[in-house]
Amino acid sequence: MLAVHPSIFPFPRVWWTMSVGQAVFSGWMEIADKAAYDKAREHAEEQALAGLVSQYAGTLYRVAYSVLRNSSDAEDAVQEAFVRVLRHRETLAEVRDQRVWLIRIVWNVVLDRKRRMKTRPETDDVAELARVLPAGGLTADERVAAAQHHARVLACVEQLPAKERQVLMLSAFEELTSVEIASVLGITESSVRSRLFRARNLMAGLLDHTRSLR
Amino acid sequence: MRSEIRDQGEGTPSPAEETLRLIARLSAPEGLEERVQVGLRAASRTTLGSTRILQWPMALRLDNAWMQSSLARTAAAAVIVAVVVGGGWVVSSRVQPAQPARAIAIPPRVSVQGSFSNAGAMRTPQTLNGPVVEPSANAHPAAAAPSETKPAGKAAAHTPVRHGKSAAAHKFIAQPAKPPAK
Repeated sequence: MLAVHPSIFPFPRVWWTMSVGQAVFSGWMEIADKAAYDKAREHAEEQALAGLVSQYAGTLYRVAYSVLRNSSDAEDAVQEAFVRVLRHRETLAEVRDQRVWLIRIVWNVVLDRKRRMKTRPETDDVAELARVLPAGGLTADERVAAAQHHARVLACVEQLPAKERQVLMLSAFEELTSVEIASVLGITESSVRSRLFRARNLMAGLLDHTRSLR
Repeated sequence: MRSEIRDQGEGTPSPAEETLRLIARLSAPEGLEERVQVGLRAASRTTLGSTRILQWPMALRLDNAWMQSSLARTAAAAVIVAVVVGGGWVVSSRVQPAQPARAIAIPPRVSVQGSFSNAGAMRTPQTLNGPVVEPSANAHPAAAAPSETKPAGKAAAHTPVRHGKSAAAHKFIAQPAKPPAK
């Protein structure tokens, strides 16, 4: 608290020693202290948030892109996730694993957006897939063939049930362990394993069916 | 770091999953962080602007230079106290206390149109008949004395049963009380 010397008070000292006067004056000083404290705390929170953005924006973008498969939508989802963090920044210090917490936020944002959009992702287009996905050392024909294969796989993934599809998509991220996937989805680790097992079996069946149709 | 799941052996990772891994490994576009930072700054301004109820003018801000002086704050507090006390005194001096009413105005009875009037008749409630207290036999011991001389069996045999009154009470009505012999 700011110290105030009694000699600057214009009234006699007996007035200054009154408890009411002291209370009013100390309250007045505390307002200034609180404003300074709030400003410092706000600055610290902004710094922490900026650190989170520089550290995890790429990871969140890739998680969003794996579901939405549209770069601008994925970027918007990342933006929205960080805005949600901004709104609840006072709880930032209580978060144990910030990376998993942020992935969970962006995952929920992405699922909301996908439910609302109901449109086909742009990477279902073979030409767009060939442009986006890396194809080092491939000829033009091989690149087109690879893009067609990827498009078939993604179409099969879209046919999976939602629970199995989500686990399969998150398991593609090498930096996520099964415990972290369980934390993101809000399920147990054994559920993650069983869902992934079912997803792989279903995927194999769907791909065989696709091959037999050709 | 590889995912634990692929090392646990639940199912065999199909070559098809390579597609998902390729997508998961795609790098973020250039300038993503800067765009997110700019968006956050704009959102922060919007959030702060929406939560601030009262925007103080610049001259009255607490972080303004002249308000850092304690003397100025004291003067401002004194002015506020003077205005509040003066305003209260002005209001209390002008407001007169309400006089108590000397007469109670009874609103006239309004008859509903289209209905019968009571023609000034006053309704009186039906009163109940008061209770009749019968004197008990013990009130006149002299009157009850002759009956005690008779045998109890005969009196009980010859006395007719009367509803609502006891035998002693019947005798009390038939034979008036004699004055007590001294």
